[in-house]
Amino acid sequence: MAEELVRMVNITKFYGRVKALENVNLTVRRGEVVGLLGDNGAGKSTLIKVLSGAVPATSGDIFIKGARVDIRSTSDAIANGIETIYQDSALVTQLSIARNLFLGREPLRGPGLMNRLDLPEMERVASALLREVGITKNIPASTPIGALSGGERQAVAIARAMHFDSDLIILDEPTNNLGVAETQGVLQFVRNARDSGHSCIFIAHNIHHVFQVVDRIVVMRRGTVVADDIVPGQSSVAEVERVITGMDH
Amino acid sequence: MPSLARRLFARPEAGPAILLLLLIVVFTAINPAFLSILNISNTLAFTVELGLIALAMTLLMTSGEFDLSVGALFGLTPVLMWTMFNAGLMSLSMAFLVAIAVAALIGVVNGWFVTALKIPSFLVTLGMLLVARGTALYITDGFPQRTWSAEGQWIAELLVGSVRFGDLRLYMSLFWFVFFAILLHYVLTGTRVGNWIQAAGGNASAAAARGVPVAQVKIGLFVLTAVMSGFAGVISSIRTSAANPNSGTGYELEVIAMVVIGGTALSGGRGTIIGTVIGIFILRLMRNGIVMIGVPGLAYNIFIGAIILGMMALHSWLDRRNQSGG
Repeated sequence: MAEELVRMVNITKFYGRVKALENVNLTVRRGEVVGLLGDNGAGKSTLIKVLSGAVPATSGDIFIKGARVDIRSTSDAIANGIETIYQDSALVTQLSIARNLFLGREPLRGPGLMNRLDLPEMERVASALLREVGITKNIPASTPIGALSGGERQAVAIARAMHFDSDLIILDEPTNNLGVAETQGVLQFVRNARDSGHSCIFIAHNIHHVFQVVDRIVVMRRGTVVADDIVPGQSSVAEVERVITGMDH
Repeated sequence: MPSLARRLFARPEAGPAILLLLLIVVFTAINPAFLSILNISNTLAFTVELGLIALAMTLLMTSGEFDLSVGALFGLTPVLMWTMFNAGLMSLSMAFLVAIAVAALIGVVNGWFVTALKIPSFLVTLGMLLVARGTALYITDGFPQRTWSAEGQWIAELLVGSVRFGDLRLYMSLFWFVFFAILLHYVLTGTRVGNWIQAAGGNASAAAARGVPVAQVKIGLFVLTAVMSGFAGVISSIRTSAANPNSGTGYELEVIAMVVIGGTALSGGRGTIIGTVIGIFILRLMRNGIVMIGVPGLAYNIFIGAIILGMMALHSWLDRRNQSGG
């Protein structure tokens, strides 16, 4: 079995007096794609927010590669190799693909005082990454993100996570509002990320999309994990739906 | 070459550049004196003072903020400098440095209110406009400060000394304008800081998540804008031999108009120094040109308003066309 990458232990989260998560445990192994499913209000978004540093847990521990870590901000999560990709919020639409890929970690050339961007290198690496992630259309790396389709934007965000060696890529509803072809493209991007050794947590409402790409399914209901070892192929979509809705008892 | 032409016209500077050329052609056709050496010389002298503020404002607006206190600082900084110098407290060059430092401090305060207290820059800088203008009026009792003792001072020569090429008289301020235009264009388009400025204005939370120090970037730009406003005010006061506490009134809106006409987005994320330079010349040539062709000067605002509306419509159309990949 692959090495354990992330382990969340007894995570509890209160919003005021409302308990959103109760003693949640979640493990992700290296190179594993985990599907996180649950109805609205099940707690999956809150769990992901805790792991990505968007909100702090009220109690509980997070271990990365066996070491306990404090994740208090998105920057902390990124520094610990956890990258979260939201539908729209992760990119700057006015900036080019290359400038977005390297945002915050831009390579420089020439004397340090000049603070000069190494744009040719940024664009060369960006073009190679787009091919690696599976974009077959010839899109110049100088294209602004605003001119890309929803699926292509997801690809850029995934490419960025892969390039900066994020160990875990969290995809929050990456196939929302996408057409059939674009959805298949995003699912292929996820497979490519896994093939290059990255782990993923994949959240989607559409169970069929999850079934196509994940190794294991975790189901949440009312702030707790109710199943964490469902393997697509060994269970049917209907069975998983029953677990999600609580009709499996 | 059609794709080159297409790319050229898709740039935000294309529309303003065409308008600027049209203005020059029309004004010169009606009154050939528009392109006379004397008129060019006079126009350049005044243009670059407002222009210096517009250059800094371009970066600030690209980061998603703007500053309404620039006109008040244009008035306050030279008043401070001349008051300290005339009172015999220090040399003119030291008074210049202290006054610029006060402007920088005001920029820090603006930036801190906006980034730490999360108050919109419109409200913060409106308040600072009143504080700065009120301070200038209070310390002068509303009277202009005498500045004639500037003659022969090396700092005055450095800021507004002039050179003559035949009939053409060029002030040092033009050199400063060209210097800062090149420098800030480079910063915005070619540096890591420029990438951060655009990201801070385009999507601040995404930028912060990537480790971009959004607050520091914005505070730095508020300081730059305040310092450039003070610097322009000092240049103007030496050139006109007057430090009037009321000078610069209304400049804030004219500067913002110059920047948006040039193609910088009021909402942030996209900015162009080349566009701003074109915008600066459009507004200054309009002011000069409509008087020269016999249109009453009081009608100036009608033309400026119409140009702003026209340019906004053009930029919005170009944006939509570019986004749709058309």
